Amino acid sequence: MNNSETIYTRRMKVADLIASDGSLLSILQRLDIKLGFGEATVAEICKKYNISAELFLIICNIYSFRDYVPQIDTLSENDIQSITNYLRASHRYYTTTCFPGIHDCVHNLVKEIDDVSRRLIDKFYDDYDNEVTNHFRYEEEIVFPYIESLTAKDKGDNGKYNIGQFGQNHSNINEKLNDLKNIVIKYLSEEYSSPLRFELLNRIYNVENDLRKHSLIENKLLIPLVEKMEKSHE
Amino acid sequence: MNKEGKYRIVLIEPSEIVATGIGAIINKNPEFTIVQTLSNPSYFSTVNGNFDIIIINPAVVDYNERLDIRSYFGGTDAAIVALTHSSYEENVLRQYNECIGIYDNAPRIIQKLKNAIEENANTPKNDLNELSARERDILAAVAKGMTNKEIADEFNISIYTVISHRRNISQKLGINSIPGLTVYAIMNKLVDMSDF
Repeated sequence: MNNSETIYTRRMKVADLIASDGSLLSILQRLDIKLGFGEATVAEICKKYNISAELFLIICNIYSFRDYVPQIDTLSENDIQSITNYLRASHRYYTTTCFPGIHDCVHNLVKEIDDVSRRLIDKFYDDYDNEVTNHFRYEEEIVFPYIESLTAKDKGDNGKYNIGQFGQNHSNINEKLNDLKNIVIKYLSEEYSSPLRFELLNRIYNVENDLRKHSLIENKLLIPLVEKMEKSHE
Repeated sequence: MNKEGKYRIVLIEPSEIVATGIGAIINKNPEFTIVQTLSNPSYFSTVNGNFDIIIINPAVVDYNERLDIRSYFGGTDAAIVALTHSSYEENVLRQYNECIGIYDNAPRIIQKLKNAIEENANTPKNDLNELSARERDILAAVAKGMTNKEIADEFNISIYTVISHRRNISQKLGINSIPGLTVYAIMNKLVDMSDF
């Protein structure tokens, strides 16, 4: 699928966009777009919230279409700040909405389990939580400021950092989540609460899916755009 | 079997003279073809595609691993044939579907390969996701926080073998991280908290 075939357009009403794919709601939530926008179109909403409509449509396409491969040709340096803003908002969404929900589920689930396994699984999840927090913090404190300094009018000393290092450090935070999923699906004994287990798994699948899109935005939009910019500054 | 209906064979033999010789004998036969020859089983993970038979010189496998050769290959359902230059204990050779000796002539080698295919097809297969006894021991050691080197020393196996076991364990369980494996090991009582 390429961009010319996508069905989302600037003239489309945001309400219709959401009606066609409910999962896009979480994008509005992240961007702090308030509901009650009536018949406003994508272009109008983006203007109001100062978001690049082009970027907004690309992000919606990434969320809606599994095979969609984003292209950077329609984006410019000016969109980089919007991308990092979106990624920050996305981090906030994970840390305030998704992960606390998973944490509560894990915690309630292991309440029923024997002491040893409870401490173990609790610790397993807490370690994962720390790993994710550190990952996000690294991006917000090192990577994004570096990128933003590149785009700033007054180009200061960028030090020795470059975006290639980001690519290398971009560790896979999905591994442990996947392990937890398999433990809950396959190995936790039948006697433990099924409704909670299903809820936990649904939450994990949702956040995993979301994190995949998040990585796609980083790897296919942010990194290529910054690399292009780094080259032009050399 | 491949498209031409030939049985595909991976040959693991450190001696180039022997590997070339047996390769020539087998490839002359229309029913069999050697798809890859390795001097060392640690390259086994690089083998692509399907194969029906593994021919391996038992000398290239650590002594302890010889007693569980199938799980050494990740519980493969290919036939496994020993290629021996010298004599081995009965309980080592029992692991294999057949045993080719270095003095066997061409018709005898081909006959043994056919026997191996037939015998292997008639052997009931374990559930591929079931951990072998050896894998459970290694998993327990991983859960206790032992390094690959420590595990290799404890079990008298090479680091390559440890790595290959760990890869098989993760593949079977769908659990990759060490903390995840630890949770699994404790829940299944492979280790208990007193080990910590």
